[in-house]
Amino acid sequence: MTLPRLTLNQKLAVVALVLGAVAIASQPHRGPFVKLDARDMALIVEKEVDHVTPPELAAWIIEGRSDYRLIDLRSEAEYAAYHIPTAENVTVSALPDYALSRAEKIVLYSQGGIHAAQAWFLLQAEGYRAVYTVFGGLDGWKDDVLFPTLPADAGSQERARFERAAAVAQFFGGQARSGEATAGSAAAAPELPKMTVPAPSAGAVAPAAKPRKKKEGC
Amino acid sequence: MMTPLYKYGFFGDEFALLVAFALGLGFGFFLERAGFGSARKLAAQFYLYDMSVFKVMFTAIVTALLGVTYLGWLGWLDLDLVYLVPTHLGPQLLGGLVLGVGFVVGGYCPGTSVAGLATGRVDALIYALGIAAGTFAYAEVYPAIKDFVNAGAMGQVTLPEVLDVPWGVLVFAVVAIAVAGFSAATLVERRFGGKP
Repeated sequence: MTLPRLTLNQKLAVVALVLGAVAIASQPHRGPFVKLDARDMALIVEKEVDHVTPPELAAWIIEGRSDYRLIDLRSEAEYAAYHIPTAENVTVSALPDYALSRAEKIVLYSQGGIHAAQAWFLLQAEGYRAVYTVFGGLDGWKDDVLFPTLPADAGSQERARFERAAAVAQFFGGQARSGEATAGSAAAAPELPKMTVPAPSAGAVAPAAKPRKKKEGC
Repeated sequence: MMTPLYKYGFFGDEFALLVAFALGLGFGFFLERAGFGSARKLAAQFYLYDMSVFKVMFTAIVTALLGVTYLGWLGWLDLDLVYLVPTHLGPQLLGGLVLGVGFVVGGYCPGTSVAGLATGRVDALIYALGIAAGTFAYAEVYPAIKDFVNAGAMGQVTLPEVLDVPWGVLVFAVVAIAVAGFSAATLVERRFGGKP
């Protein structure tokens, strides 16, 4: 018995079908166990590339960007009292079972930053690579976005930056404080804005940070 | 070493642009070699006397599908990190229809028009200018149609998830459909194109 002579196209078709048939048994997705590269992790921590600064985050929210998930790791009560607009409330213990995608950019924050950093490692260990923490946590958000202060000896450049920050603060319901005003009322902690989420609107306020260009898609 | 290289931080934004340029050159080269620098060849697809577009594109799909599957299986590619364009079914159906109409009328799709332009075709130049004008017009009307463009968001979904079948089964099904499609395309060419 002789095999029929196949054309090149037919041979290619056979190869594709065989590869396809073998692929039925394939497991192309990574399982739950991953090896962490300790050096890699250490480098990320040291270079601080896993941080999003509060002004950057504020700019994203104002632009109405939707290519990230903002996770508030504090308790439900704290979340209800105040949270950064667009944030979802997920406590650290609920994080492993929360519906997140490894292809998404995930931004974590807690009150100070320790829980966020710990959750960062938790997600890294589960294979999430695009995880960031808000620098300084909610405290940093308050200091840099809601209630920015102008140092008394500020130069003209700092003043210009402060004016932009003040507009952003107003957008989020906060109040900028100049150096002189702070001196009098430093003792009284500023009151957090009421939890009415401002709708992201284009052009309402000039974004504080330069918007990053989108790197993905075609 | 794991891929995607960019997501794992093997190179930065600037080098990513160089990589994109090299990939674009390769893409254009193979489009041109397939004859897709010519609007006649492309338009012939829609009159069913030359099924090259169908064959080349489906071959590319099958090659990429098998490649991605095996690379993931070998552990060289982290499929979870591969960017997927989020699905918006309605808007994308309409967008596909608009692109298809433009394809038939103009004889090019965006990629092939650039390939045609590179070989000095005037019709491809006109088409490319049309793309630029269309892009500009779209950006101008975007605020008005924003709600529709973002309607029906399904997220980054894949067929195995939507159809609830194992990845490998879907791979085999697509390959089988492709091979059957290639045979059928040859028959169609014989019927309409007078090819032997």
